[in-house]
Amino acid sequence: MKRVLSLVFVLVVTLSMALAACQQKPAEPQTIQIGLQAPLTGDFAAEGQWAKQSVEVAQELINKKGGVLGKQIEIIIADDASNPKDSALAAQKLISQGLKEVIASYGSSVTAPAADLYDANKVVSVGYGCTAVRLTMEKQRPYFFRTAGRDDTQSEFFAKFAVEVLGAKRIAIMHDNQDYGRGVAEDAKKFLQPYIDAGKAELVYYDAITPGESDYSAVVSQIKEINPDVWFFTAYYPEAALLLKQARQAGYTGLFVGNNSVPTPEFEKIAGVDVIKGSIHLNEPMPQFLSYPESIEFMDAYKAKYNELPGSIWAVYAADALNALVAAIAKAGTIDPDAVAQAMRTMTDAKGITGPLMFTERGDRKDIPYYAYIYNDQGQLEVYYPK
Amino acid sequence: MQLLLEQLTNGLTIGSFYALVAMGYSMVYGVMKLINFAHGDFFTLGSYLGYAILVIGSGWVTRTFGLWGGIVVAILGAMLGLAIGGLLVERVAYRPVYKAGRLPLVVSALGASIFISNGIMAVWGPRFQAYPQTSIPSGTFRLFGEVYMTDIKLVTLIVSLTLMALIYYVVEKTLFGAAVRATALDRETATLMGINFRSIILFVFSVGPALGALAGVFAGLNYSRIIFTMGWGYGLKAFTATIMGGIGNIPGAMIGGILLGLLESLFEGFVSGAWKNVFVFLILIIILIVRPTGLIGEKVAEKV
Repeated sequence: MKRVLSLVFVLVVTLSMALAACQQKPAEPQTIQIGLQAPLTGDFAAEGQWAKQSVEVAQELINKKGGVLGKQIEIIIADDASNPKDSALAAQKLISQGLKEVIASYGSSVTAPAADLYDANKVVSVGYGCTAVRLTMEKQRPYFFRTAGRDDTQSEFFAKFAVEVLGAKRIAIMHDNQDYGRGVAEDAKKFLQPYIDAGKAELVYYDAITPGESDYSAVVSQIKEINPDVWFFTAYYPEAALLLKQARQAGYTGLFVGNNSVPTPEFEKIAGVDVIKGSIHLNEPMPQFLSYPESIEFMDAYKAKYNELPGSIWAVYAADALNALVAAIAKAGTIDPDAVAQAMRTMTDAKGITGPLMFTERGDRKDIPYYAYIYNDQGQLEVYYPK
Repeated sequence: MQLLLEQLTNGLTIGSFYALVAMGYSMVYGVMKLINFAHGDFFTLGSYLGYAILVIGSGWVTRTFGLWGGIVVAILGAMLGLAIGGLLVERVAYRPVYKAGRLPLVVSALGASIFISNGIMAVWGPRFQAYPQTSIPSGTFRLFGEVYMTDIKLVTLIVSLTLMALIYYVVEKTLFGAAVRATALDRETATLMGINFRSIILFVFSVGPALGALAGVFAGLNYSRIIFTMGWGYGLKAFTATIMGGIGNIPGAMIGGILLGLLESLFEGFVSGAWKNVFVFLILIIILIVRPTGLIGEKVAEKV
């Protein structure tokens, strides 16, 4: 037996040496390699770690089911340190390793330079935590996609939600004159316009507060006087907490709707349960509330491995970026980037953790899910719409 | 009409915060001719000290002394802490460079400001902290019509106005106050007349920061959210109030503070929130063009 084994071993060694000798090119890899560019260090380090863990869980699930094109998936990781400069370096590293499909990355300004490099080198890249509209609308990058929505997704959702679901007529929009909040407010106004033109809604307040202050009683008195059906606040949680608290203290009882930067543990802490209960907040799907079969399978696997749920939805979008790429590779039957990009644009039946994975011509995700959550009497979030 | 009255009460409350902080600026400037950049950070530090007292042993102070008793303890603790802190800063950062002229003094003040705010960040972290809900009185009452006011807001107003009146009395009506004013007018002569300059310094550098600490704790109690950078914004507004009223004199700081608060509230409430600061500083510029010494800077020759 021993002799037979050693004979086999010798045979294998000579054969492989012979093969290596007569082949100029390295042997075809036995796995399909997909890159993951994530901020494992720097400001967004927590997001990067969550993305890595989520992608690895998704990878295990795919491999357990036999991988794709009969091969297992292998993830090659590069750290972009949460900044644009290192992002370009990370992209070059993955490109030089000959990868054809990558998942990249978190943060719009971090993703942009990498997306340019991937695009120039014909590498399909899928962003998971980059929501700036300009990434897809400013210039066409044929090889760039993203599983996360855009900054204006939320505004579009708000207009529809406020008028059609809440039945609100008199709407107030308040922002903080900063890039993000102002953008959301302007888009919300834009998406409300058709309703206003149709006489279904009315914009009764549109103005900004000064961020970083503590006393907002003057605006609060104004809101109280106007008494809108919906008061939409599009900025960050510190101001939201103070505004809502001071409004309730001043006797305002109307509905407060916050945007996706508002519902955080800090918001709950500053404002307190009595203040936040009944307020509605728009947000990306939260990991704990996803209910597709794929979501449940993923969350169970994640929980079994890390004993908790992914810390943010962006990490789940990273896992869905892998799912989208794998589905596209399966559809294309090859890892050739042109075929995979084409498959990404045309696939209709790919199922992800956050819902169907379909993409527009410019690389944006179609039918991005968006939710309205409400704080219940215990100060916990519940899904309000869509149920 | 009702909205107007509501905005006036709002403005009065904000104004009393500015006035409390502004008085500290003004006192130090009057006596030392120094713009004390660290003053805004005294305010922050006071707020954090109050916070620290209220969260010891998860609300031990509130449990032991009751809701309002706990607040009194927090306020007194913070004021005492800052009175000591103010003297310490004067000893370490100002006294050694006092003879070197005004510029080194200002740089030293900036340094003290950065030191304190970063120290706060190092101890309590860079994120927002929130005054514990259980230690804050949550009552509100109806003032008139549909105008509501929180209990703590009313207390803030009463305490600030009382303290301002007290300080005003001490500085304007007592012998010690006369010494303070004399020092502000001409330090050398005052010293020759037998006024103890050290004791005047002791007074302004303990009372000024303590008033800042009081405002800080009240800010925490009213808005619950505190962060290590918040002194900058309040400091700037209070400094503006000081200039408006006429830097160096105490009634000027009070009037400037309250006027600033009212202007802000009225403009924000009736015109536009986004343009509030533009408007407020425009008013400041106009006041300085018309009355370069501030609103009541001219009438009062002595500056304290």
